[in-house]
Amino acid sequence: MKYYSEFMRSLKSSEFTISGEIDPPKDVNPDEVKEQVKHLKGTVVAANVTDNPIGDVIMNTLAPCVIMQDLGLEAIYQQTCRDRNRIALQSDIIGATALGIKNVLALTGDHPKMGNHPQAKPVFDLDSVQLTGMLRKMREGSTLAGTELENPPEFHIGVGISPGVEPLEPEIIKLEKKVKAGAEFAQTQVIYDVKILERLKDEASHLDLPILPGFAPLKSIGMAKFMIKYVPGIRIPEETMKKLEESKNRVETSIEIVAELIAAARDMNFSGVHIMPVGMDIHVREMVERAGEI
Amino acid sequence: MIITRQKNLEEIIVMLQGSEKVAIIGCGGCVTFYKTGGRKQTIEMAEKLREKGIDVVATGISARQCYLIEEKEAEALDDSEIIKKVARNIVGLEEAEGIDAVVSLACGVGVQNLANLIDTPVYPAQNTLFMGRRRVEGDFDIEQCIGCGDCVLGYTAGICPVTRCAKSLMNGPCGGVFNGNCEVSQSRVSEYDIPCAWIQIYEKLKANGKLDNMRRIFPEKDFIRATHMRKVEVAK
Ligand code: SF4
Ligand code: SF4
Repeated sequence: MKYYSEFMRSLKSSEFTISGEIDPPKDVNPDEVKEQVKHLKGTVVAANVTDNPIGDVIMNTLAPCVIMQDLGLEAIYQQTCRDRNRIALQSDIIGATALGIKNVLALTGDHPKMGNHPQAKPVFDLDSVQLTGMLRKMREGSTLAGTELENPPEFHIGVGISPGVEPLEPEIIKLEKKVKAGAEFAQTQVIYDVKILERLKDEASHLDLPILPGFAPLKSIGMAKFMIKYVPGIRIPEETMKKLEESKNRVETSIEIVAELIAAARDMNFSGVHIMPVGMDIHVREMVERAGEI
Repeated sequence: MIITRQKNLEEIIVMLQGSEKVAIIGCGGCVTFYKTGGRKQTIEMAEKLREKGIDVVATGISARQCYLIEEKEAEALDDSEIIKKVARNIVGLEEAEGIDAVVSLACGVGVQNLANLIDTPVYPAQNTLFMGRRRVEGDFDIEQCIGCGDCVLGYTAGICPVTRCAKSLMNGPCGGVFNGNCEVSQSRVSEYDIPCAWIQIYEKLKANGKLDNMRRIFPEKDFIRATHMRKVEVAK
């Protein structure tokens, strides 16, 4: 098997692979991207760039990817089905790969109703399974409609899974379909509960698919409560809440909580983890180092 | 059934600006069953408009405004004759000379059908919303079919993912299922809960021992069949 990306090579070796995530800036200033890259580089093998999460208008995905790769950190280009039909999705992939993108994460995308332009027309021409299949087809040298790509794009295809949702079975069935369609790795929705990790291990181990559980620091009690109330598939154990409540130093505690989760994933033989810093990028190195001590 | 909601009166009055003699025509189809454009609502609409100073001279009901008379037949008739023909029981038309506006309480199809037959302008009194099931009880009507031209209900336990999944997903739920409901219905701009169509499909398929339907990959939808403008040969 040929690996196009450092990220994929790392996943396929026995290394515990860590990916990070960059939030694109809200306006044209690229410094925020550079800042985040500076803190992640050396700790993560590659970092995702999100595609307008919740549908808010921010910088597109490709620009931060290119800035990041210029600074020597490999990008995982997230692509969602919310804003682009199959024509735009394919053109974007051709452009992105021409600029050196080697990893693409295929996602459904949030509905525009969740963001700051709820009046927008939702596209969803494809779903994430169909997008995955289309990406593989492009790599094999053809557009979705069958026209030949003489110089096909070269990249690896990742997908998402939300292991905390109830019921889990339809989510697993969908993941199986994504694997059939061409998925080569998966990253998960944020997990705070080791029980969800265990359940994911049990339910998805039959798949030949490296899965990176996603973790993010809980910066405050308010954030934790918000997540439980409004974000689907989120469970936060009581002990974690208690730890946060009793904490004298929330930053310290949130780093420690992520470190424990990373260590748990490592001990369960996951292929790696995906860290979403949510603004705490300066502490990602610490989270990983701390996990190494557990 | 076609689900409609009456426009607010102010908007109808704005459309009628400059019109002097108005006829109002309801419909005996969906809007009658749905109590938005039947006989009672037609009379009420006439009263409300009269209160606002609009000269409503005639009121009537057509059987089905989506099915009136053929264009050929209409060619030989003038507008008031056509109106009398399509709304047989019309009250007031005899006395009224020179109607210069018609307000229709039918759905968008009915309004267009009537507008196609007569030269007098036809104004809609409804906002046409969607195709849904008629409900007598319960608080909400839910859209059931967007007419995608390629029905998949046979594989999805009789529950339409194209319409009832907020993202028209074809291959199973997204990560947005929240307590069995679609996260979209729980967002800031929504006031009510709508169950996630894919969880409903999953549960019903599972109960019927047909979960394998969900394991097949549905290919990309062919929007040649589903985008405007569509036409189909008349069934003979
Ligand atoms: S699959 Fe298409 S035709 Fe069938 S109910 Fe849904 S929208 Fe209507
Ligand atoms: S939660 Fe269910 S109904 Fe809503 S968009 Fe996702 S799959 Fe569709």
